[in-house]
Amino acid sequence: MDALHLAAWSFPVLLALIFLRVPIGLSMLVLGLLGSWSIYGDSAPLLNQMKTMAYGSFSNASLSVVPLFLLMGQFASLGGMSKALFKAAEAFLGHLRGGVGMAAIGACAGFGSICGSSMATAATMGQVALPELKRAGYADSLASGALAAGGTLGILIPPSIVLVIYAILAEQNIAKMFAAAFIPGIIAALGYMAVIHLSVRFNPTLAGQIEPISWPERWQALAAVWPVLMIFVIVIGGIYSGIFTPTEGAAVGAVATGLLAWQRGGLSGRKLREAFEATAGGTAMVFMIVLGAASFNTFLALSQLPQELAIWVGEQGFGPYAVLTGVLVFYLIFGCVMDSLSMILLTIPIFFPMFAALDFGMTPEDAAIWFGVLVLIVVEVGLITPPVGMNLFVIQSMAPEISIRDTYRGVMPFVASDLIRVVILVLFPGITLFVLRF
Amino acid sequence: MNIIIYRISQTLAWIGGFVLTAMAVLSVASIAGRALSNFGLAPVPGDFELVEAGTALAVFCFLPWTHLKGGHAEVDLFWKVYPPAIQRGLILLSDGLMQIVWLLLVWRMGVSMEDYRANGEVSFILQMPVWWGYAASMVPAAFGCLVYAWRLLEDVGLATRPAGYRMSAGEH
Repeated sequence: MDALHLAAWSFPVLLALIFLRVPIGLSMLVLGLLGSWSIYGDSAPLLNQMKTMAYGSFSNASLSVVPLFLLMGQFASLGGMSKALFKAAEAFLGHLRGGVGMAAIGACAGFGSICGSSMATAATMGQVALPELKRAGYADSLASGALAAGGTLGILIPPSIVLVIYAILAEQNIAKMFAAAFIPGIIAALGYMAVIHLSVRFNPTLAGQIEPISWPERWQALAAVWPVLMIFVIVIGGIYSGIFTPTEGAAVGAVATGLLAWQRGGLSGRKLREAFEATAGGTAMVFMIVLGAASFNTFLALSQLPQELAIWVGEQGFGPYAVLTGVLVFYLIFGCVMDSLSMILLTIPIFFPMFAALDFGMTPEDAAIWFGVLVLIVVEVGLITPPVGMNLFVIQSMAPEISIRDTYRGVMPFVASDLIRVVILVLFPGITLFVLRF
Repeated sequence: MNIIIYRISQTLAWIGGFVLTAMAVLSVASIAGRALSNFGLAPVPGDFELVEAGTALAVFCFLPWTHLKGGHAEVDLFWKVYPPAIQRGLILLSDGLMQIVWLLLVWRMGVSMEDYRANGEVSFILQMPVWWGYAASMVPAAFGCLVYAWRLLEDVGLATRPAGYRMSAGEH
């Protein structure tokens, strides 16, 4: 078997291993090593390559931003800002139809602006907002669906760990990626709010309403969230304006949220150890996949599969939009069962050269950034699509009395709004890219 | 014995978190130094070299605990369909692969460390020997081999999980 066939056949084997519940990173690692070994036909070059594999993957300067953003998210959860964010959003939206639900989405968006992880956002906001939604008389399906979807704002709104990984793989500027993802992230939040408003309009039994509160009280509630706004402006503004690198920005964010948590009494010894353990789990999970992807992608590069695929796709004469649609649909389907980071790490090295060869009538950099934001959205949909949607499980674990069937049903309108958003952003690349003109 | 393995793994996770926090504080100090360079302060020299080595050290500290907790990303879509015997076999397969691959990687990492020590290569700014970074990470990495071996012993029933340490599969 030649190298190309070997690489092509490694994919079904990889999927089989993954479906046998071998950890995804480990599956990629093992197959990558075996594949490279077989192409080299000798163990010496492989053993040589393995010398720096683990330490080299883990000491990557660009990747050090990932554990720092995870730590920042943990500190942000301990800072008690989630409750203040929810109260502020509720003060302005609560009296509207579906208002408390919309407030939960708004608070998720606010939390997403200082947290780069979707599950941390779903978990933190779920704890605060689920009881409030129940008290306001929300149906189980709408409450859990809204919070699962709202959690995805954690990665849709920068900072975002998935975007960082994409930027590294596609060799794009992280600051520009963050800036470009911002408007689509806001559109996502507005879309989710619209879903809640319309659901309640068509079926008023889904939700209750609360009394409006006075304007002074509203401003007071809004004023309480100033630390979130400040941290967001410093971290994202600092990265975008080039005052500091993304890693330094993440460090600033971690220290700022850490100080906030400490000042608000959230950093007791036990809480701090739990925050470290959660950071440990998230970081080890990501870097195990990074290590696996490093091994597997070396094997793929040796086999020349990505280049051959790009050439083949070019020769078929598919239109650029046909290829783009194919890729996005691929992510949507695999997202139903696969983890978002593994998907990105595994497929971007294959899809990106293919995509870069297409002509969308824009500069290569614009195209790469636009593609990154689209990919971010479609892999994020995977977090809320049954049967394997991590955010659904997070909400489920917090409210075991809500049946998973209700959660599945409740999240569907939000998935629909995601799909509509993807179509809009594909048709109008300017929405994503106009920020970069400033 | 089992409680010691788990305690050390958990403590390593805390140490990793502490290393990360220290890195963050170092970076902030460096930025402050750079911003106030007109007032006679200066950025911490070679800060990013320390951040690189620190990240690697933290990740190696995090891996054993995450493995014990079953915290790696996996797809358990069909898991409940498999009969218990197959499930046991698959767990053994995963843990066995992890053990083999990790032993290989740590062995090669050790060889690489010796190479760097022999050729005396140093980092660009701090002039810190490259093998130091390897040596620091070697400690938790080698401990990882022990943890993965322990998991294998648990799989075949030769060791038990200590009370109070729950395995939370699927919780990431």
